[in-house]
Parts: sequence; C-alpha cells; structure tokens
Amino acid sequence: MAEELIRLEKIKKYFNGVKALKGVDLTINKGEIHCLAGENGCGKSTLIKVISGAHEPTDGKIYFCNKEKTHLSPIDSIHMGVQVIYQDFAVFPNLSVAENIAMNKNLVENNKKMNWKKARELSIKALDMVGAKIDPDILVERLSISNKQMVAISRALINDAKVLILDEPTTALTAREVNLLNETLRKLKEKGMAIVIVNHKLDEIYDIADRLTILRNGQNVATGLIEEFDRKRFVNCMTGREIVDEIYQPVTSDQEICKVSNLGLTGYFQNVDFSLYKGDVLGITGLLGSGRGEIGDALFGINPATEGTISINGEDRKINSISDAVKYGIGYVPEDRLTQGLFLTRSISDNTVAASLSEYMENGKLNRNKIDRVTAKWIEDIGCVAASTEIPIKTLSGGNAQKMVIAKWLNTHPKLLILNGPTVGVDIGSKFDIHKILHELAATGVGVIIITDDLSELYYNCNKLIIMSNGESSGVLQMKDYTESEISEMIKNATKDLK
Amino acid sequence: MNKIKFKNFATTNEAIVAYTIVVLCLLIGFANPAFFSFSTVITLSRAMLITLIFAALEMVIIISGGIDVSFPAIACISAYSTIKLILKFDIDSIAFFYIFASAIGLCFGAINAYLIAKRNISPLIATLGVSSIANGATLAFLGTKEFSNIPDHIDSLSRSYLFSFTNSAGIKYQMTTLILIPIVLLIVFFIVLKFTTFGRGIYAIGGDENAARIAGFNVVRIKSFLYMFSGVLAAIGGVTYTILMRQSSPQNLMGAEMMVIAAVVVGGTRITGGHGTVLGTVLGVLLIAIVQNNLVMVGIPTSYQTFVVGLIIVMGTGITSIRSKHIANSAKI
Amino acid sequence: MNLDLIKNRNVNKNNIMLLGLGVAIFIIMSILEPRIFLRSANIRGMFVQLPEYGILCYGMMLAMISGGIDLSLVGIANLASIVAASVMIGQDGSPFSIVLGIIAALLVGATCGLFNGFLIGYLKIPAMLVTLCGLQLYIGLGLAITKGPAMTGLPEAYGNIANKLFLGIPIPFYVFVVVTAVIAFIMRSTIYGQQLKFMGTNETASKYSGINNLKVTLITYMTGGILGAISGVLISSHYNSAKSDYGSSYTLLTLLIVVLGGTDPDGGEGNVMGVAFAVLLLQLVSSAFNILRINSFLKTFVYGLILVLTMLITGYFDVRGRDKN
Repeated sequence: MAEELIRLEKIKKYFNGVKALKGVDLTINKGEIHCLAGENGCGKSTLIKVISGAHEPTDGKIYFCNKEKTHLSPIDSIHMGVQVIYQDFAVFPNLSVAENIAMNKNLVENNKKMNWKKARELSIKALDMVGAKIDPDILVERLSISNKQMVAISRALINDAKVLILDEPTTALTAREVNLLNETLRKLKEKGMAIVIVNHKLDEIYDIADRLTILRNGQNVATGLIEEFDRKRFVNCMTGREIVDEIYQPVTSDQEICKVSNLGLTGYFQNVDFSLYKGDVLGITGLLGSGRGEIGDALFGINPATEGTISINGEDRKINSISDAVKYGIGYVPEDRLTQGLFLTRSISDNTVAASLSEYMENGKLNRNKIDRVTAKWIEDIGCVAASTEIPIKTLSGGNAQKMVIAKWLNTHPKLLILNGPTVGVDIGSKFDIHKILHELAATGVGVIIITDDLSELYYNCNKLIIMSNGESSGVLQMKDYTESEISEMIKNATKDLK
Repeated sequence: MNKIKFKNFATTNEAIVAYTIVVLCLLIGFANPAFFSFSTVITLSRAMLITLIFAALEMVIIISGGIDVSFPAIACISAYSTIKLILKFDIDSIAFFYIFASAIGLCFGAINAYLIAKRNISPLIATLGVSSIANGATLAFLGTKEFSNIPDHIDSLSRSYLFSFTNSAGIKYQMTTLILIPIVLLIVFFIVLKFTTFGRGIYAIGGDENAARIAGFNVVRIKSFLYMFSGVLAAIGGVTYTILMRQSSPQNLMGAEMMVIAAVVVGGTRITGGHGTVLGTVLGVLLIAIVQNNLVMVGIPTSYQTFVVGLIIVMGTGITSIRSKHIANSAKI
Repeated sequence: MNLDLIKNRNVNKNNIMLLGLGVAIFIIMSILEPRIFLRSANIRGMFVQLPEYGILCYGMMLAMISGGIDLSLVGIANLASIVAASVMIGQDGSPFSIVLGIIAALLVGATCGLFNGFLIGYLKIPAMLVTLCGLQLYIGLGLAITKGPAMTGLPEAYGNIANKLFLGIPIPFYVFVVVTAVIAFIMRSTIYGQQLKFMGTNETASKYSGINNLKVTLITYMTGGILGAISGVLISSHYNSAKSDYGSSYTLLTLLIVVLGGTDPDGGEGNVMGVAFAVLLLQLVSSAFNILRINSFLKTFVYGLILVLTMLITGYFDVRGRDKN
C-alpha cells in the first residue's frame, strides 16, 4: 500500500460568498505523479493554495502524514516539504536568478546568512537539473516567461521537497522543454517524491500521470489510476456532458471586413497576413511569447505594429494607439480579465458603458436611466446571471463577468472584435454561451478573432486558423481541411525546437 | 567576460551618480580652486552626517516598498523631550540621552508599524498623520523654547574630534567623532542588506510582496520591524543633530524628509521598491550635499539653491524611471 | 434596484455625518461662547480662510480619485501668487495689472500642473514622488524670484479681493462656491469626470477600454494647478503680499479633508459634496480651537490624529464589508 503524505477532507473555501471549493477530498501518496484536472475555474488553483497555506480553508481538515494541521501558514507548509510552482511563478523580478533559486532554501533551512557563492553554485546545479541555460547573475525581470518558469522550477527542485506541486507548468514551454520537464519529474518520482500537476491538457496528462483527480465546479468528480480513464470518460468527467460540439461552418460571404497584410512588430512577430470575410471566425494560436498575443495587442494599438497595413471595411487604417483602434471600431477582450478587463469595485452598468461613455452624456448629464436600460438589455441578451445592474461586478462569477466584458465592447458596435483567451477561467456553460455569441456576431458581419491555446475551442469555433511559432505565421489554414488530431499535431510541431 | 562585467558596472546607477559628482566637482573646482582642499572634505562630511543617518533608514523603508515621512517629527520629539528631561533632572549622560530618545522613537515607529504593516494603510498617509501627531505633540505639550545649554558631558561629545588639521591660512579644521555613527550604521546596513536572509527578505518584499509571503517570509513582522527600527534611527539622528548643533529645538529638522528622499532616489533606489544600495545612497547624499554647499562657489546665489536642488531631483528621478521603463521594454532573454 | 438605494444611502451617510458634526460644533460653540463665536468678525474670518485651503482640497481630491496624490499644491499656490505679484509690481499696480497678474497666476498654475501630469502620466513616475519633487521645485522657483522675504507693495485694490464683502459675505467664499459648483459639474457632467473615476479604479482596464489615461492625468493635474493658483491669489490677496512658504500646513489639512470627505485613498471614488462639508467642518473645528484659546499647535496634533483614525475606521469598514459579502 502506498504511503500517504497529504490528505484533504471536505475542504471548503468561499470568497466573498463565491463558493470556490464545495467540499473536496484529495489524497496524495509518496512516489506518485498525481494529476489534478478540470476545466478552468473548477477550483484547482484554490485547492493548491489551501495545501500551500496561502489560503485558509473555510471548512474541512488537512492532514500531513496523518497528523491534522490547522492554521497552516506558507512557511509551515514548506517545512512539511511542500513546494509549489505557481502559475505566475511568484519569482522576485528585482533579484538575480541565483538569489531567486537560493532564497527558499535559505528560508527552509532557516539560514540567517546569505552566502552568494553558495547561492550561485546551487543555482547552477539546479538549472542543470532542468537543463536550462541561464546566467545566474542576471536579474529575473530581464527573463522571458519560459525562463522565469525554469527559475521557478529549479527553485522548487533544490529544496528536497516531499511534495512538489506544479500549477499549469507547461503553458509557456515548448514541446522539447515539456519532455525535459517530464523526464525530470519521473526521476524525482523514483526518488520517492510525490508530484501533483495541475493541468487541463489531455495529452500531457496521459504522458505523465499515475493517478488522476478530476474537479468540476469546486467538487470531486472522479479519482483513480490513469488506466481507469479512457479519453471519453475523461472528457465527460471534465466537462460534465457528452461533447456535442459541432464544427463551426459559417455561411460564407465575399464581403470583406478586415484585411491585414505583412503585419509585423520588431522583435515579436512578422509577416502576418489574413483577411476576414463576413461570417469568418479566425483563431490565432501558439505558445505564450510566440507572438500570438502580440498580434492582438498590435491590432488594438497597445503595442502598435511597426510594419504592414490594416484595412477595415475596405479602408486603410493606421493604428498607433488604443484611441485609434477604438475610433476605427476595434474591440479587445484582454487576456487578464481581472486586471485588464474589469473595474472590479464598480457596478455592472459602469463596466458595461466604460468604453462608450460619450453615448450617454445628454444635456450635460450622464443619462443613468439609459445606462441602466442598456445594461439590463445586455444582461438579458448575453445570458448573464446577475441580480441587478448596480451590484459590483466582482460579485459575478468568472463566466458572467467575462460576458459583461464582451458586452462592454459590443456596446461600442465594433466592426472587429479581438478576444484574447475568451474563456480562460470560465465555466463550461458560459463557455458554450460565449461561443454562440461569437458565432452570431460573425454572422452579422463583425470580424471575430480568437487568440487562445485551447485546442478544442479553436477546432470547434473557428473556420480559419493561424499558428504562430517564434514570431512566424503559419499562414491561414482552413479548419475544415483538417481533423482535430492533425491540428493538434501541427501545433505541437510548430512549437518544437524553437531555440 | 570581464569586459561585459565592466560595462555592466560602468552603467549602474551608482556609476552614473559618481560621474555626475566628478563632473560637478571639476566644474566647481575650475570656478573656484579653493574647492579642492581638505577642508571641503570636512565641511561636507559634517553637512552629510545627519542626512546619512536619515537616508539609511529611508532607503531601507523604500526598498521594502514603503515610504516614511515621519522621521523628522519623530527625531524632534524624541531628542527634544529627552533633552528637557535631562535639563530638568540634571542627567548628564550621553547613554541616557541616546537610549531614552530611542525608546520614544520606538514608540512612534510602532504606531507606524501598526498602521502600515498590520492595517495596510498607505505608508505615505500613515506617516504623514504620525508626523503631524508627533510634531503637534512636541509643540503643544513640550513647548517651543529652544535650548542651547546642553549639559557639559553631553556637550563635550560635540568637541571631540577624530583628527584636526590647520590649513595655510591658519584656519583649523576638525573632523567630529560623531561621523562614526553614520559610518558604522552604513557598514552594518551594507552587511545586513547584502549578506543576511533578513536583508534579502526586505528586497524580496519590495519586489513582490505576495511572492515573498508565499516563499515563507513573515511579511507583517519584517515590515513592522523596519518601521519600528526606523523610529529608533530617527531618534538617534535627532539626538546626534542636537549634540552636533549644540542646541535643541522642537522643530528644526522638520522638512528634512524632502532632501533625504531626494538623496535616496537620486542614489538609484527605486521609489517603487525592491532596488537600492548603500553605496548609491551615500553617493546620492554626497551629490546633494555638494550642490547645497557649493553652488555659491560657482556664482549661483543662495536664493536659487532650493530651485537647483529641486531641478536635480526631478532630473535624477526622471532618469531613474526612464531607465527602468527601458529595462521593462527591452527584449527578454 | 434595492442595492442601488442602499449604495446611495451609504454615500449620503458620510455627508450627513459630516454635516451633523458641523452643526453640532456650531451649536455647542454658540452656547459656550456666543459673543465671540457668533460675532460677525469671526464668521467673516472663517469665510475668508476656508476658501484658501478648501479650493486646494479639490485639487487633492481629483488627484486622489485618479489614483495619485498631489503634494505640490501649496507650492504651486505660492509660486503663482509670487508671479502674479511680480507682474503687478512691474506694471505699477494699475487695475489692469491686477487682471494681468491673475491671468499670469492661472497660467503658472496650469503649467506647473501640466508638468506634474506629464511626469506622472507619460514618464510613469509615481505621483507621490513627482509632486514631492515638484513642491521643492516650485518653492525653489518662488524663492529665486523673491530672494526670501515676502513680496509686498501689491496694489491696494488687489487686497480687496480677499478682504472686501459682497452682500455681507467675503468675496473668497463666493469663489469657493463657484469652484465647488464647477468641480461638481466636471465630476458629474463631463466625460472626463467619468473617465477619471474609471482610471482611478483600474488604470490598466481603463487603458484597455480605450480611455486615454495620459490625457486624463494631464487634465487632472492641470486642473489641480489652476485650483492651486486660485488659492494662491486668495492667500496673497488676504495678506496683501506673496511669499514662498505661506500656507505650508495646508498640505496635511487638504489630505485630511479629502479623506474625511469620503474620497478613496486608493482612487476611483470621491464626492464633491463630502469634501465641501469636510472643509466647512474643519473650519468650524479650527475656529472653535481659536476661540477656546486652545494651543494652536494642538491643532496639528488633532488633525494628525483625525487623519489616522479616519483611515483606521474606513479600513475597518472596508474589511468588514468585504467579509459580509
């Protein structure tokens, strides 16, 4: 029988009344790789923060080696041998790579002294373990995302952890780096370490997992050995329904909405060409840092393109700033909803009109009634569940809040709507709704661009696809020419051997 | 490899401030050769003495991501109340002066610590409030009288010198022993900031407070300690100033925060936290002291002094922020 | 809908409390010292003094709603009045010179504000640092012009601005009322006013919503600069002289009033009426201190205490409110 390291019983965690975890059980054994799977927003990250002591659970029991622990603090958890690599890495941008790596070990061992020479040696050793080549003296703020992740992984590895938890560790890694990481993890497992990986990418889970726990909406759905899950059961458990997604097949039209040629931004991407016709939904994918997000940023004027032309409804437009983009009818649903998309403390109606204020200024006064009417109409049209137009938007769930971010832009009557990660952290129902909204939009003649790394989202919702790899565009692919696994293969190949 | 290292070193903030100082010294020296004499060193170190103590505390607070504008008021109330006690009860002891004042400074520092570390109130507003409380309390409850009758034993410290020297014109220049206080302090700060986990924790908190908490630092405790310690250092600065100037007044240090923050920021400490070095701070203080003390030598009238210093601060902070903006936008490795 | 009502009631609660406290002090003082407190000279004195910092408060309020802070207002006020004084003295003090002087003051205020706004909005230097440095710079410029002592010999008619009555009330109070109305109008009825709140709530989200943050920042600090200049004209007219360190205690006072008036120190929220009531309240407190012959330094102490307590109490309710949700 496997030796038990951590056991969670009936963990509940509420935020501002939002139930993130509704009584989750989890057991982690020595020498296993345990995958924690589930759709975005199912509570995986929250659960990890409970184990690491960053969140105190609202209710439930935590056992380390069969001993109950209450009021767990981050340092307690670290002393218990838990190391977490967070999605945002939690590295210190102002410190050197060596110091970032050595910092936690110093804390764990309660060293009062900072030994720079030792830190440097340690960091070189740790970076070697994951096969990263980074100058240990450089400041972390100068590193790319994937190198920052390498630093975070190296830092966790040198701490002789008993349990290593990785929260979505592969989002920024190339296929080769993923393999390297997997090898490292297997070696660690041999040494008896327990490894917990949070992931929602099927292929990667099958590659590495021994055991699997699936969460949905803050609850356990299934747990067991990986062999017990075939693909169908897995997907069914994750999404809670039989997948009835149909491939998006628009009524094609020759009415051109937007044409982009030879678009480039020095240092990020070049030679991007595409045109959107009425009904088209274009998907853009690739790794973080491949240039996929930067295309959206360039079209919206955040980091304006340095070369190429953009025409909207047949007219050439120069987009040098966000104001230009908004003027020409471009809307942008940003990647990070919480910091870039929402005014958290403000009401739903304020959020809805944030990009179209001037329409409501009548006779030197903001027409509150009109705003309320419009907001109520959007809430209904877009299928948002909200008690009133005046409650702060932070009380909405991820999916409903995301719908209102989209409504904010629809309220400006855009000609082109760019969505960067439109369904990140969105529950499955809302995800379905959002996709439906996008299809309807496309049918009415709004250009829709989806930037995402979610394969099924691309496959079932776009009819055109661009795969970005190291700033290079694959050219526009017609989705109907390929099967899902072919697309998956192509994305994998595009991300291979970049360096 | 060495060449790259050298290039990196040559473009650090410290190096840039150092170049500025050299150029400034040459300019002043050409305009008035009297500047290049040993007496300048002594005048400058006397001028920098108190600022260095305050700059050391402000630097650490800013590195941790906060700010403290209450230290002049805390320095005044601790030194002034202690000197009143000393005069009333005839306690002529240097140790008592320092220790009792430090205890008062600690109390005010603790208020700052509670408000900022425990209750998460914006450091600027909290320390402004505490500054007002301390300053108001001094003037309202302790009086406005200035004392210049410092007891003999304490006063003797102001007349103790490390060494003295007489120039050709027969004027005697003496280096006060008190200069040892900032020197020792800065050495200790250098070691703590560079070579202890605690010191690195201060940088970590300034870099990313949440990450520091996750890594296992007790952020509340470290920040509390810093503000409390800052109160103690403010008191030490106040006492030293009293001894150096041989008089005590309830608000002669008020307004000092401006110059100190300026010196720290010009010395390369980022106001947003996480970056800053002892060497940079010393250079920043030196730069401002040279400007303040020697502008007259190049023919700029005294009335322009505040303006020129203000201009230098604006340029200094401007350059620092443009540099950090540049780093943020430069291609990643 | 229900929630809407509750929200509005909450906003008003702060204002009602401020107003209630003001009335209470007024009544208590009228009973304790009716002969001094209700004397027209005292009332008039309040009406002259209150606009001087009351107008600065709106500059601070705008900066704070935008997510920043403006510590340079007093410096701008003095610099503007010094420039105005130089213009007037240079023009031999004719009535025309007074107009010219006031225009010069407003221009100086706007320029200083734009300079602040540029450093904050374009170079992204934190507002606290910019305005702290700005304060030094503006005081320095003022010193360079005056060479230290107060500039006197201003035209007599200039002094009338602050010291003459209209319908029995000193003119500065009318200025305060007009400024209050204008700021209320800006906050309520202009797109800028709305955008300011959005930017203060979440700068990134406002950028991503197509709001021009740089423009909003520039307008905010420029308005602050102009308000500083207006206050500077009132102060110099009151003393009939200009100096680089008049009103140095006003910075803390404005900060206190703005926070007391319900402005969120983290940005995004603020209401003009709240600040106006807080200005009145603080003037009553100040006047009460003077009449009861309480050591004037105690005022500094009490102001600091009120500031800290206000922050503690609002912080406490914020946390409580969050937990309840």
